[in-house]
Amino acid sequence: MKHRLSLLFLSMQNLTRRPFRTYALVLAIAIVSGAIFSTTTLMWGVNSSLKRGLSKFGADLLVVPRGSLISMKSALLTGEPSVFYMDSDILKTIASIKGVKKVSPQLFLSSVEGDCCVMGNAFIIGFDPATDFTVLPWIEEKIEAIFQMDYAIVGGSNSYNVGDDIFFYGQKLKVFGKLGRTGVGLYDNAVFINIEKAYSMAEESHKLPGVSPLKIVRGQISASLVQLDLGAKLPFISFTISKNPDVKVITAGNIITSVRQNLVALFSSTLILSIVLIIANTLMISAIFSTIINERKRELGLLRAIGAKKISIFGLIIYEATLLTSFGGFLGVAVGIVIMRIYQRTIIFNLKSLNMPYIWPSAASIVLLAVAAIGIAVVVGITGTFYPALRGSKLHPYDAIRAGE
Amino acid sequence: MSDSILVIKDVWKTYEIGDERIEALQAINLDIEKGSFISIIGHSGSGKTTLLSVIGGLTEPTQGSVSLDGADVWKLNDAGLSALRNEKLGFIFQFSSLIPTLRAIDNVALPYIFQKRNNTDIYGRAEKILSILGLSKKLNSFPSELSGGQQRRVAIARAFINRPSIILADEPTGDLDAQSESEVMEFFSEINEKEKTTFLLVTHNMELAGMTDRIYRMKDGILTNGG
Repeated sequence: MKHRLSLLFLSMQNLTRRPFRTYALVLAIAIVSGAIFSTTTLMWGVNSSLKRGLSKFGADLLVVPRGSLISMKSALLTGEPSVFYMDSDILKTIASIKGVKKVSPQLFLSSVEGDCCVMGNAFIIGFDPATDFTVLPWIEEKIEAIFQMDYAIVGGSNSYNVGDDIFFYGQKLKVFGKLGRTGVGLYDNAVFINIEKAYSMAEESHKLPGVSPLKIVRGQISASLVQLDLGAKLPFISFTISKNPDVKVITAGNIITSVRQNLVALFSSTLILSIVLIIANTLMISAIFSTIINERKRELGLLRAIGAKKISIFGLIIYEATLLTSFGGFLGVAVGIVIMRIYQRTIIFNLKSLNMPYIWPSAASIVLLAVAAIGIAVVVGITGTFYPALRGSKLHPYDAIRAGE
Repeated sequence: MSDSILVIKDVWKTYEIGDERIEALQAINLDIEKGSFISIIGHSGSGKTTLLSVIGGLTEPTQGSVSLDGADVWKLNDAGLSALRNEKLGFIFQFSSLIPTLRAIDNVALPYIFQKRNNTDIYGRAEKILSILGLSKKLNSFPSELSGGQQRRVAIARAFINRPSIILADEPTGDLDAQSESEVMEFFSEINEKEKTTFLLVTHNMELAGMTDRIYRMKDGILTNGG
């Protein structure tokens, strides 16, 4: 007959004694780990999407007209079309500051669907290919050609494909390339065109019947993207630019902080609930295992009589809690994944409406978060069982054996 | 060189309940040779079970020493005491002492999991002992599927699994009918004879005590030679 005895096997068998109690405990732990896993996955997704997007952004500073700060953050994070303008002279001023390596303008246009020659609402961004360092380097797929005046580059979430013809304000543009998805709305949803083309498009828009014309004039820009020299002092340069009362400086850190604040506000109630659940479950497990120890006093005494050391009894009880909580943790994570997958569109829509970019964490990150959530569940189990297990291991064998006589 | 397996010297066990002092064991002295078949008789509450638990390392005496196979039982640490219980002692309790979630054969092999050494034939031995005790068809039965007498025989089988030096049996045939009792006693005698295992039986059944080599009497915590 094959060996099957071990402390682990004994623990597993013990869990089958009272199925209802075991299922209830597994379910309670599953709720905790599911809540922790879902919350951290969503936070991780927002955070990593933001970091990834902003790292691709490539600019250390973004200079926008004063009063447009909130609109710019919204445009950056969600890709919501926002239009605001300032004089392009600012480019020269910024370029003259010591420590500034590159300066490149961007011009924001918002197309409105019209009777003639406009393919729906789009966030069009004019950029200067000669000075650009934030668009062209991130093209993931493109046609074999040099970027020309009649070409456009689309964000990763755009429905247009490389080689497609698109129309804005009577201008036919060929999709030259597509950017990789970043989770940052500005890059995922916009259509990038040559800034000169954007000016001429604005001029042409006045001649088109049935279309609201674009109210911009040559020489205006929406934002100035700034890249600093290696070792340049960002706070100093930011301070120097900010001396100009007509502009506002945005750093990647500003944006991340603002989103994190939103994120904490959104998930704080869930986090607090998770902490309360963790404490409640720890106490519940402690109380239930105290009862279990009392129920099995005689058996524990018997095990001591046939050679179990104190540490073996302690291990037996801890194994039981570990098995129970790891199974509960696994169940919670599995259910969390299924629910998040079912409601993924709703989740992303809701997060975007709160100015939070979102891309699903990578498989490796999800595995890491799942292991962490299961780990927390196991720690809850071990913590809750520690005292009852210690008490069980210290039972006086003779008294334990005679318990209930 | 002494051939003693068990030497008890001036063992006392006192319980204090409130202001009351109960002398469960009083000045017990006993020297048992290897391979002896001893019984202790006495009424309920006379201290028989307490004496077995002191010998077996389950309850610490208030005073005195117990030496088992050369080891001073109450000077051993937890690991030493546990190893002694596992390897040298076989307990048979007077109540049902099986783990309800394990099959009969697993219950018999149970002491194995607390051993350091690898014993690959533990299930073979368990099967053999259960067969001798008439349970060859009940190897895979759970305790709830066994009668009281069958459960008792499984517990007896477990006491022998590790070839102990001494068996401490507390009313070992309590739940058995006359025929089973006689079979179990025959099994004890055989093991005692073949493997030189020492037996210390506690009972109030004079007929059972009569089958042993020597009888001691216990009364109010005092052990006397019963002839």
